[in-house]
Amino acid sequence: MSSVNAPATQAPPILHLSAVVGSPLRDADGERLGKVEDLIVRLGGVGYPPITGFLVNVAGRTSYLGVERVSDIGGDGVVLRKAKLDLRRFERRPEEVLLRRDLLDRQLINVEGARLVRANEIELALVAGSWRVVGVDTGPRGGLRRLLPKGLGAHIATGEFLDWAGVEPFVGHVPTVRLRVPHPKLAKLHPAQIADLVEAASRREGEEIIQAVGDDDRELEADVFEELDDHHQQEFLEDRSDARVAQILSRMAPDDAADIVGELEEDRREPVLALLPVSQRVKVRALLGYDPAQAGGLMSPEYVALDGSTSAGDALDAVRRSEIAPELLTTVFVTSSDGSLEGSVAVTALVRADQDERLQSLVKHETPCLSPDADFEEVARQMADYNLTSIPVADEHRMVGVVTVDDVLEAMLPRGWRRRFGLLGED
Amino acid sequence: MAVRVPPVMRRIRSATRGRPRLPARLSSRRVRLFAFLGLLGPGLIAANAGNDAGGIATYSSVGAKYGYTLLWTMVLITISLAIVQRLAARMGVVTGKGLAELVREEYGIRWSVFATSAVLIANVGICISDFVGIGAAVGLTGVPVQVSVPIAAVGIWLIIVRGSYRSAERVFIWFTIPFFAYPVAAILAHPRWHSVGRAIAVPHLHTSSTFIVLLIALAGTTITPYMQLYLQSAVVERGVREEDLPREEREAVAGAVFANLVASFIIIATGATLFTHGIHDISSAADAARALDPFAGHYAEALFGVGLLGASLLAAAILPIATAYVVSESLGYEKGVGRRHEEAPVFVNIITAMIMLSAFVAMIPGVPVISLLVGVQVVNGLLLPINLFFIWRLARSQRLMGERRSRGVLDGAAAVTVAVTSTLSLGLVVITLSGI
Repeated sequence: MSSVNAPATQAPPILHLSAVVGSPLRDADGERLGKVEDLIVRLGGVGYPPITGFLVNVAGRTSYLGVERVSDIGGDGVVLRKAKLDLRRFERRPEEVLLRRDLLDRQLINVEGARLVRANEIELALVAGSWRVVGVDTGPRGGLRRLLPKGLGAHIATGEFLDWAGVEPFVGHVPTVRLRVPHPKLAKLHPAQIADLVEAASRREGEEIIQAVGDDDRELEADVFEELDDHHQQEFLEDRSDARVAQILSRMAPDDAADIVGELEEDRREPVLALLPVSQRVKVRALLGYDPAQAGGLMSPEYVALDGSTSAGDALDAVRRSEIAPELLTTVFVTSSDGSLEGSVAVTALVRADQDERLQSLVKHETPCLSPDADFEEVARQMADYNLTSIPVADEHRMVGVVTVDDVLEAMLPRGWRRRFGLLGED
Repeated sequence: MAVRVPPVMRRIRSATRGRPRLPARLSSRRVRLFAFLGLLGPGLIAANAGNDAGGIATYSSVGAKYGYTLLWTMVLITISLAIVQRLAARMGVVTGKGLAELVREEYGIRWSVFATSAVLIANVGICISDFVGIGAAVGLTGVPVQVSVPIAAVGIWLIIVRGSYRSAERVFIWFTIPFFAYPVAAILAHPRWHSVGRAIAVPHLHTSSTFIVLLIALAGTTITPYMQLYLQSAVVERGVREEDLPREEREAVAGAVFANLVASFIIIATGATLFTHGIHDISSAADAARALDPFAGHYAEALFGVGLLGASLLAAAILPIATAYVVSESLGYEKGVGRRHEEAPVFVNIITAMIMLSAFVAMIPGVPVISLLVGVQVVNGLLLPINLFFIWRLARSQRLMGERRSRGVLDGAAAVTVAVTSTLSLGLVVITLSGI
């Protein structure tokens, strides 16, 4: 199928959907029989989606015409292979959509640019022996061509268009067949970009994106949820069962999961918490005890804490084997057997140190430490003063968590700056 | 290697013994405040933007020319406006898309571009008249237009482009506060309340053509296309959830009722003074303010001016936004109040260009506001039936709206509203063009 994916520049001449729709249906002798109303295309395969048939209007009735009965498609009409016209009632088969009714003028995801675009024109070409959709024109040319009367519009040359390989259509609105078209191209995007798309799309389209992502990658789905703004998180969680919510939360960082549980409706919190795996439940429940506007609410309960007698080499080994998020692993904390914080060593210092050196001798300065009720400003000031990317939180000397610089940045961003992540971010 | 490696204690600690202060994180203060502010929102803003300079001029003319006689129509107009606004809000919530977006998707690019062009022309015209209104209102204190209009233009631009949707919305709600000046002005004008009551309850018709023109103008200025366009897009941008739909609909209806109460007070204020004293012809809202002075005193004039200023500011801010929404939606560009230029260039450029153009034209001395408004009314009169037809059709579509589609009484009432309002506004077009 490699030739199907050939770049559009090498493809034969481009045919515009708008030129075909409304053009006459002709028999093999060129006699006009009716009018083309729509083109049927099958999504879901590899490469450019092939045209599988037409909706044609003959003598006032709309019927289906299979592509195998057609010898040529062009600007001056669709030509039948045989003289005999065989029309059937159109019944949508799985993965089939109508180009004009279901795709044209609607929103698509431009995966390359990670943004939503609108299809002004759909471009077709003869690729690998069959007519296929090769791209979507989102620019003014495609729109203008359709606006002008047919004679004039035909003079507008084909502009640059997005290759089909770089777009994903929304199909949630397509009736009767609930398409489960996977959106494999989406997986290439960063979770934050997917979250931006979900926020920009309408509710249904956003739901479609999340479902598509979640169907083949639960991990990615959880990452996308972490990146969504509060408002959208709540909106999408509301529709999900407690079990599904717990499933998503179990894959998230505990502090983000705690934030979401805090936003859930009162009567759903306990059932959802009960469905979480034990370790995650314990962490989330503990975090829920803190004020979200203080260090306790900002911190993550996951970190690497080691005994002071551990050697640098073993400490690095512990970091290597740890499964917690990388931003929490920039520093190794030194605690005594009763859990009280004795100091911290940056991972860079561990790398530079003699591998046999003990952690307690690597602890240089008195480690700054926050109490769980320190406010944002206090957290930020301490981190700035001591040039830290993470700072420990201790409740009466006993270490309970770590605040990392990314959490502080998010909390401290000026109102206007956060707007990019959603219009309601500031609330 | 004689060094003994101590067992590494890899402890991923959890704060299991953290103080269980559950309620702190779940503070509901924020939630309650949000709910309160939520009562005031796009519904109120959209409907009240209709009480702009052009609207006030029409209401004052109605009051001066016919006293309270036309008050009964305000009841019908309010019902119509409430129905239409409610449908727009509902569609925004359910589909998550603006009206222009839905028209593009359901009716194709030609209809959408046609409607968009009409919106563009009509809205620029109205926007100019609102900057004229700002100049006239401030002008009552003797400040020249060349000072007040540029300041207002820059201020409005900053609010829309530099703030966020939320902050802009809050400012717009502040702009509606001066509207309370009209009830006060009406009371100061000492109307005879029993005549007012009778005029509201008892329909009264003249057969003169001026009467019919004013009647149609009244309906046309109260139900304007940009109100629905703004409301639906703003509801979408606000991200209203489906379970909040009833509240959003209530707000849309309450906004329509409040807006028309204000309009009725303007009619009462001018009816009690100008009409009673035989001043039947005024040509602008500022004229009306000045004319109030001898009968109801300085306060009435000042109040009228304050109301005019708030209304004009509100509309001058809403119109560029509504226009930018429509153009971006129908052509598929990024949109959003408070988006920076690099995020949504077309959206921001439309807003900037519209504010600049309108403010500039409004500063030209002797700009023919009246003939401009007449032209605008024609375009609006053509646009409104199309707009309302789309709203009616889309709101009852099973595919788009599912269980929330309009049915039964609501759908019937909407159909009647669309039919009557469309007839009236087409009537206005015919009358204006034939120059009666």
